[in-house]
Amino acid sequence: MTMNPLRRRGVALAATLLSATFVLTACGDDGEDSESAAAKTSTTAPVAPKTRTVKADNGSIEIPGDPQRVATIGNTTLPFLDVGGEPIGLTAESDSTVALLPEDQQARYAAATNLAPSADEVDMEKLASLKPDLILAQIPDAEFEKIEEQLQAIAPTVFWGLDTEWKPFADAIAEASNTTDALSAQKTGFADKIAKLQETYRETIDGTSFVDISRWESSDPGTFAIADIGCSEIARDEVGMDFPEAAEGEDPLAYTALPFEQLGDLSKYDVITYPVDAEGQPTEPFAAVVETNTWKALPAVKAGRALGVFCPGNNSYGPVLQYLDSLDRALASLPAEE
Amino acid sequence: MTVPGRRSRLLGLVLALLVLLALLVLSVMIGSTAIAPSVVWDALVHPSSDIDQFSIRDFRLPRTIVGLVVGMALGVSGALIQALTRNLLADPGILGVHAGASFAVTVAVGVLGVRDPQGYMWFAFAGALVVTLMVLALGSTRQGSSAVVVVLAGVCVAAVLGGAREALQLTDPDAFDAMRSWNAGSIVARPLDVVWPILPFFAVALVLSFAVAGPLNAMALGDDLAVAQGVHLGRTRVLAIIALTLLAGGATAIAGPIVLVGLMVPHVARWIVGPHQRWIFAYSALLGPSLLLASDILGRVVMHPGEIPVGIVTAFVGAPVLIALARRNKASGL
Repeated sequence: MTMNPLRRRGVALAATLLSATFVLTACGDDGEDSESAAAKTSTTAPVAPKTRTVKADNGSIEIPGDPQRVATIGNTTLPFLDVGGEPIGLTAESDSTVALLPEDQQARYAAATNLAPSADEVDMEKLASLKPDLILAQIPDAEFEKIEEQLQAIAPTVFWGLDTEWKPFADAIAEASNTTDALSAQKTGFADKIAKLQETYRETIDGTSFVDISRWESSDPGTFAIADIGCSEIARDEVGMDFPEAAEGEDPLAYTALPFEQLGDLSKYDVITYPVDAEGQPTEPFAAVVETNTWKALPAVKAGRALGVFCPGNNSYGPVLQYLDSLDRALASLPAEE
Repeated sequence: MTVPGRRSRLLGLVLALLVLLALLVLSVMIGSTAIAPSVVWDALVHPSSDIDQFSIRDFRLPRTIVGLVVGMALGVSGALIQALTRNLLADPGILGVHAGASFAVTVAVGVLGVRDPQGYMWFAFAGALVVTLMVLALGSTRQGSSAVVVVLAGVCVAAVLGGAREALQLTDPDAFDAMRSWNAGSIVARPLDVVWPILPFFAVALVLSFAVAGPLNAMALGDDLAVAQGVHLGRTRVLAIIALTLLAGGATAIAGPIVLVGLMVPHVARWIVGPHQRWIFAYSALLGPSLLLASDILGRVVMHPGEIPVGIVTAFVGAPVLIALARRNKASGL
């Protein structure tokens, strides 16, 4: 088919107008219109539904199919960043926690609007001004009850209590924020890593008693704790390492601050793991333990069987994978038992 | 109330000394870990690199010495402030000592980022001294310094600093976390090499305390009678305030605010010996560490395997004892 110049100009004009319409439509902030446009212009890519319903600790919540403006409150910030999320607003994490994030996550953290220094004092006015289309929250139940109505009035709010296990929590965050693809890749990496650790160190792990001890910035001076929750819990439950745990129905061992004079009781364990930073040095709070004569006199320490392990976090797959990598290196360095 | 004679007081003092010695021994022997007495003995007499011996030398011995020093300072400073203000409810806190120390520690932790107790101990000491001097200046009038005006100034300054401290802590929850143990009052993990430099201040303060004991006896009868007996009121007050500030400021710097020892111990001492400051000071110097060490020992075993800070145990143990004693005895006069 041939076209004369006038007709060609008309087609070009129509194409330009059509393109401009698509561009203007895409630039608008009305989710419904953009979804409609996307649905009309795409015939192959899967299309997110207009809305979805997710189940959480605050019931069944109807949320946007593909939320674009997500605000995170409390413990949801880090898992959301970990699956590639770009929060528009968040409650602050401690400087030391942020420093442990990969650079790209730190950049996304810094780009978000800070809604509060801690999760229990969210600036509702500031949050509302951000016009979020989804709010993710994990804070103590009592605190959430106080602000639930205000949050729901701003945007659909999905809430999980603090007792949610980390893996279902990561699943739920990814499902709500429509980031399941990124999560799937992480889950595959996690399964592979666990399998490798179990296979490589089976002989080392079997019959060896481990204990993970720690100190945090909030620890009272002169005290440490047996860390049976957090990263070592993953090593125990997933890798099968023999770490101590609290009796059924009891508080975690980590909740009890033990005086330094009980460091001597660690003599009964074959291997001790303790927290180190990314460079492999004992974390600042834990340095006080390493400096004691009692620590230096422990059989495991003298035999080189005290292993520094880096644990940047334990409520999403990214930091857990970093922990498992560090555990892998630590176990590889373990001298043979005499 | 019958006032005991000199012989009875001396006998009581020896008894108090024996109780203190027994508690010193128990403080080294008893802890959250069971360690055989022979190991304790060896740790002190035949040191080796045995793990349990390290526990004795590195943890139990230092906290026992700190308990002795801090208890002594708190006991005598409490007796001084009660004698100086002629107020049975007075403790060093009303001169702003605790408020000054706490505010300085909050600034050190929250603003300057000091997280190590050894680091902010000197801030606490300086804060206690500076604020007490400020209170003295505010409480001085053209007619000289009045105990009532000084105490009022202390209460007001403490209120202002308390508010400022709360504000700082609210803006920096991490700082609050780091200070939690210090605020509760604890003698754990205070290395002796940080405590030694404060001891000369304590020594000077104890000498000053006993030097002003006589004039304070006379002042208990009223300022006019004291002047008639040749007491220099202004000098006595200044020396007493210097002494109690050094004692309470140093003790607070080391262990955090432990309130009840300074309040309760002088009462007990007064019930035993009557209104004689020199004896009250001597008894307070022995009963203060006894109360603190007994509370600390209790705090190590009652919540095994964890511990309760001595400041909390002192409050739980001291308050009922004080009430019971008060109900059995007439309130002691000054």
